[in-house]
Amino acid sequence: MMRRWRVDHGVLARCSLGALLGVATIASAAAASFLLPPLVQPASSEHHAGKVVWVDLVTPDLASAKRFYGALFGWSFNDIHTGHTDYSVALLDGRPVGGLVQRAPPRGEKRQPAWLTFISVRDVAVTERSILTHGGKLLASPRNYAQRGRQAVFTDPQGAVFAVLQSSSGDPPDVLADPGEWIWSSVMARDAAQDAAFYQDVFGYEVFENPGDDGATHVVLSSDDYARASLNTLPADAARRHPHWLNFVRVTSARDTAGRVVALGGRVLVAPFTDRHGGQVAVVADPAGAPFGLLEWTEADGQQDAK
Amino acid sequence: MNTLVDRRPMRALVVIVSAALAAIALAACIVGGGYDGGESVDYGVGFYEPYGYEYGGWGPGYGVGPPRRGYDRGGRGDGHAAPHPAYRPAAPSRPMPSLPSHPRGR
Repeated sequence: MMRRWRVDHGVLARCSLGALLGVATIASAAAASFLLPPLVQPASSEHHAGKVVWVDLVTPDLASAKRFYGALFGWSFNDIHTGHTDYSVALLDGRPVGGLVQRAPPRGEKRQPAWLTFISVRDVAVTERSILTHGGKLLASPRNYAQRGRQAVFTDPQGAVFAVLQSSSGDPPDVLADPGEWIWSSVMARDAAQDAAFYQDVFGYEVFENPGDDGATHVVLSSDDYARASLNTLPADAARRHPHWLNFVRVTSARDTAGRVVALGGRVLVAPFTDRHGGQVAVVADPAGAPFGLLEWTEADGQQDAK
Repeated sequence: MNTLVDRRPMRALVVIVSAALAAIALAACIVGGGYDGGESVDYGVGFYEPYGYEYGGWGPGYGVGPPRRGYDRGGRGDGHAAPHPAYRPAAPSRPMPSLPSHPRGR
C-alpha cells in the first residue's frame, strides 16, 4: 500500500513564512542582545571632555580574570555572551567600573593583555579628525553601541593605545573614587613633551609642568580644573620602552594589595613606593600579564592647602 | 509520480532552512555593531599591546601620581621652563589641579 503525501501548498507557504520570521526574530534578538550598560544611570547631560570614563580589559582568559579581580577588589560581574564575544561588566557595589572581554591573542605574535583607556569626547568624528591630523592612528573605526554611545580606538603618535567615547547617557560626575575604583591614569611616553602637545591639541587639556627629582619630563593633563592624567617620560633605563597608558585603582594599602596580587597569581612590576602626593603607588600585573596601578589616596590628599 | 510528490516537502524544507540561514546572516549584519566586530574591524584584536613592559627606573623621584590640590608649582609652568615647549603650559597663575574631593552621593 503506497501512502501518498498530500501537500497543501498554501499551508506550507504560511508555515514557511512563519518559520522564517521566527528564525529572523530570534537571530535579531540574539545578535542585538549585546548591550553595554549606560555610562550613567539615570542619564544626565553632564559631560567632562578629557576625563577617563571607562576601561576595558582584553584578556585571553575571562574566567581567570574575573576570579582575580573579584578576589582583589571585591568586584562582581554581569556576563554578556553574544556571537563570538564573551564580555563581562565589572561592578563595585552595583556600579559598573569597567569591562572585561575575552579575546585570543593574535596568532603567531607574542602580545600582552592590557586595560584600554576610554577618554570622554563630545564628538567622535571631530576627535577622529583631530587625532589623525596630529599624528595619531586609527585602530578601530567609530561604532555605535546601544545604550553606551559611540567609540573608537586609536594610538597616539608614539604608539600608546587609547579609546574615545561619546557617551549617550552623559559622563560620570567628578567625585572622589572609592577604594576598588579607578582613580588615576598615566601615559608613559618616549617624549613626554611632544606627547603632551598631542593630547593638548586633541582634547584641549591644560598642561601643568610637574617635574620630579629624576630630571625627566612629567606633566599633568587637566580639564574642568581637575587633574585627569599624568604624562611621563619613560625611565631611561627601561629595556622595553613601548609607550602606553596605565590606569590606577584606589587602594587603602598598596603594599597589602600588592601582596594579594602575588597570592592570586599576579606579579609586582614596581614595588610600592611613596609618590609625590605622599601615598604609596605600585604597578602590578594580573595573571595574564595585564598591568595596572595601585594608588593610595586619602581625602586629605585632595584637600591639602598650598605650601 | 509518487517520488515526485514525496520530494516536494523536502524541497520546501531546504528552502526554509536556506532562507533562515540567510535571515540570520542578514540580522547579524544589521545589528553587528557590537564587540563581535564585523568583517572590517574586530574590537578585541587591535589593542593587545606589544609584549612586555619593563618598569625599571621607577621608584622614588619618578612621580606619576596625581598632585595634591594647591601643590606648589615652584614658579614652574611660566612658559620659560623649556626654550621651545611643544605644548602650551598652563599660566603661572593657575593653581595645580588635583583629583575631585567630593565623596559620592554625599
